[in-house]
Amino acid sequence: MSETIDAKNLTKIYRRGREEIYALNDVDIRVSNGEFVSIIGPYGSGKTALLNVLGCLDTPTRGSLRLNGIETSGLKEKDLVRLRRDNIGFVFQQFYLIPTLTARENIELPLLFSRKNGNRSRIDEILELVDLGNRSEHLPRQLSGGEMQRVAIGRALINDPKIILADEPTGNLDSGTSKKIFDLFRELNNHGLTLVVVTHNLELARQAHKMYTLRDGQIVRCEDLACVLGRNDLKVQLEVV
Amino acid sequence: MNFLTLAAKNLLRRRGRTLLTVLGVAIAVSVLFSLMALNSGYEKELNKEVNSMGIHILAVPKGCPYEAASLIIHGGVIPKYLSDSDLKNVSLIPGIELATPMLMHQFMKKDERSGKSTPHIIYGINIEEMRTLKPWWTVEGRFFRDNETNVMLVGRDLADKENLSVGQILAVGPNKENFTVVGILDRTGDQDDQFHFFPLAEAQRIFSKEGKITTIAVKVDDVSQISQVSAEMEKISDIQVVTMTQIMGTIMNLAGSARSLLLTVIAIALIISAFGIINTLLMSVNERTQEFGMMKAIGASGLDIGKMVLAETVIITAAGGLIGIFGSIVGSSLIESFVKNMLPYSPRGSLISLNPELIIFALVFSIMLGLVCGIYPAFKSSRLTPMEAIRSGAD
Ligand SMILES: Nc1ncnc2c1ncn2[C@@H]1O[C@H](COP(=O)(O)OP(=O)(O)OP(=O)(O)O)[C@@H](O)[C@H]1O
Ligand SMILES: [Mg+2]
Repeated sequence: MSETIDAKNLTKIYRRGREEIYALNDVDIRVSNGEFVSIIGPYGSGKTALLNVLGCLDTPTRGSLRLNGIETSGLKEKDLVRLRRDNIGFVFQQFYLIPTLTARENIELPLLFSRKNGNRSRIDEILELVDLGNRSEHLPRQLSGGEMQRVAIGRALINDPKIILADEPTGNLDSGTSKKIFDLFRELNNHGLTLVVVTHNLELARQAHKMYTLRDGQIVRCEDLACVLGRNDLKVQLEVV
Repeated sequence: MNFLTLAAKNLLRRRGRTLLTVLGVAIAVSVLFSLMALNSGYEKELNKEVNSMGIHILAVPKGCPYEAASLIIHGGVIPKYLSDSDLKNVSLIPGIELATPMLMHQFMKKDERSGKSTPHIIYGINIEEMRTLKPWWTVEGRFFRDNETNVMLVGRDLADKENLSVGQILAVGPNKENFTVVGILDRTGDQDDQFHFFPLAEAQRIFSKEGKITTIAVKVDDVSQISQVSAEMEKISDIQVVTMTQIMGTIMNLAGSARSLLLTVIAIALIISAFGIINTLLMSVNERTQEFGMMKAIGASGLDIGKMVLAETVIITAAGGLIGIFGSIVGSSLIESFVKNMLPYSPRGSLISLNPELIIFALVFSIMLGLVCGIYPAFKSSRLTPMEAIRSGAD
């Protein structure tokens, strides 16, 4: 299987005064095409740092990252922008919708930056996919939290990315709504999309094929859950890196 | 959706703040625009007025030349006189096409209805020579002849104000002699519309100023010889020479100092409004760093973000510019009367000339203002790395 994400020895050091903080400490992670991966871990364990490095929003202090076979270290900002735009869709805990734009316009926004034509039927398709067909002309403040996150997911999908990176996408949602969002992730995954989702909700995290546990910037556990979804018994693979 | 609509929608998020900034720009631009409109109108009107006198050089009695000149332009009396021999001497100077004597007399006349006294000015002139100087003069009724007695011409405004008509008889002078209005000058658009004109000899007789002249108006053959001719005239002992270029220069200088004061005020207004714009933008940029981070995460480049911020500034300043220009056009008469009071000498015509170039200049200026003010906030926001931007709100 081809590796969509292939990261080796990722280390991210933040300096706070004279103190060095290892947000990531020698992390290896591989995500195959079409895989659904969840990442859990305590507060401050480096989940966001990892996701940002994987999404090229941040550069690792050390280590290498290949996306779809392309080595990202040493790429110029301009190339990183294009790589991000063409390959990755981001979903955040705080949604970050533009309050003055309607659901439809928020979903359309990335097209403004990618200079693609605002193909109306494509936007309608996405609106259907995230189940917002009848909410398209609403402003964010007229939407519920779950609906807002659906808009954000729609926005992440509009440029046809290969990977969706989601940082605590259900952090601001109640459990029922969170479940529905994960159902949507599963559906997207069934369409062939690769997903990496950070969450604090263990139950939801277990819906992924693989679940990584981070602690102090290191992957301390990787559970393969692929078979759980298929069969009904738990096959836990303990792996300490 | 494009960058402009996105920027416009962003501005609508903080309507109050946006509106205030737009108003600041509007005020600055309208002051700038009015001043430039005034400036070009002032020069134009002044030139027109000086040219319409058809006179290149004035000879006045020695004294205060500029007061004299101003009195002559506005009408008025100088309590000193030149004589016939001065006129003869001036006429002998080569290069002079025409030298014509004038006597000015001012008297106060009480209005029967309001009881207020207003100054009236009588010019004693040589009609043939005057018509050579002012070939545009036409008349309702007829011109008088130089050797006629008890006749006068009046200016159109004066005639309208006093309800005068051709053939009417007025009592004039200390002895209340009867004079017939033989003609009313057609409107000239300058100060001539306000005056009474008498044959020179009649004016001298009525006011007991026989042989006395207030001024000699000179037209030269060739305008390039004005300075030479006036130098020759200076040699006549009684005479003080004032050229029209000098008068105009003096007026322009006086107006110029008033103008530079205004310019300083405008410069300050513009700088204040520029800082206002920059401040507003920095505020709105700082509020939205996380949003910019998100935009970068969904594919915006630094340039895209910068462009968006710049578009917001230009929308603000262009809107301010349009409102400012519109406001000063609408309020131009108000501004004009205000400025006329401030200027040392103002022509009678409209001072504000609204030419399309000026409107375009003011608009381009507003847009440039936006670009200049937007550069720093745009640069600042474009340089954010997505991570920093998203984090900034979290900490
Ligand atoms: N810009 C930064 N400067 C300094 N330290 C940072 C910075 N970003 C992250 N860190 C530190 O790196 C570590 C990992 O942070 P990270 O945000 O990745 O944690 P997390 O697992 O996402 O936590 P949470 O569950 O609270 O979101 C933390 O100790 C954090 O304080
Ligand atoms: Mg986090």
